[in-house]
Amino acid sequence: MEGLKAVTVTDRDGVILIKSVSNDVSQRVLEPALSTTFAVISDQASKLGLKKNKSIVSLFGIFQIVQFNHTPLITTLVADSDSNTGVLLDLGDELKEITDIISSALSDRQVI
Amino acid sequence: MPPVPNFQLSIVNVLLNSEGSPLAFVSDSDYDARVYAAIASNIWSTFDKNGKNLMREDNLKFMLVECEKGNVAITMVSNMLLCLVATPDVELGILKAKTDALAKHLEEPFQRVTAYTQA
Repeated sequence: MEGLKAVTVTDRDGVILIKSVSNDVSQRVLEPALSTTFAVISDQASKLGLKKNKSIVSLFGIFQIVQFNHTPLITTLVADSDSNTGVLLDLGDELKEITDIISSALSDRQVI
Repeated sequence: MPPVPNFQLSIVNVLLNSEGSPLAFVSDSDYDARVYAAIASNIWSTFDKNGKNLMREDNLKFMLVECEKGNVAITMVSNMLLCLVATPDVELGILKAKTDALAKHLEEPFQRVTAYTQA
C-alpha cells in the first residue's frame, strides 16, 4: 500500500509478535513505547462512556499512526501523513482475522 | 436512493485548556463535557509526549479516537484543545473536516487571546 511504512502486531507490553518494516523508516517506530502508550490510552478512551475503544488515529507532521485494540494484541500501522486513513483502517480490520487466530491460540495456551 | 449523509454531526463540542478544564462546550449535559474534556486532554498529552520522542520531535496535529458507540476528534487550536464527539453514524472524514474547519475558524482569534494572557 502506498505510503505504508511499518506494520507491527505486539502484546500490551510492546513485545513484537509480527513486524514488517520499510527500509526508509527509522527503527524507532518499533520501540515498545508506541504500543504501551496505546494500551494506556485505549483503556482511558474506553472510559469516555462510548463503550470499548476500537482504534486510535494520530496524525503527526510526517507520519500518521493507526493503532487497533485487538485485545489482547495491538496492531500498529505507521504510514506517511498524506496516506489514505480510510484504507489503513480497513487494512486493520482485515488484519484482525490474523490477530484473532493468534489471540485464540494465546488464550488456549493460558488455559493449559 | 443513496443514504443521506448525517450533517448534524457532533453531539458534543468542547474547547478546553491544556490541563483538561473545559473553557466552553456545547452539550446536553455538563457532566459529559467535563468527562470528555478530562479524558481527551489526557489522551492528547500522553500521545504528544511519547510521539515527540519517537517521531523526531514531530508535533501531534490531530487525533481520532474510534469507540463502539461514538468517535472523538481532537486537535490543537493555539494552545488549547478542541474536542468533538460524534455518534458512529457520522463518517470519520466528515468529522475530521468539521474539526479542521472549526480549528481554522478559531485559530486567529485565539492567537490574540494567547498573546494577551502571556503578556
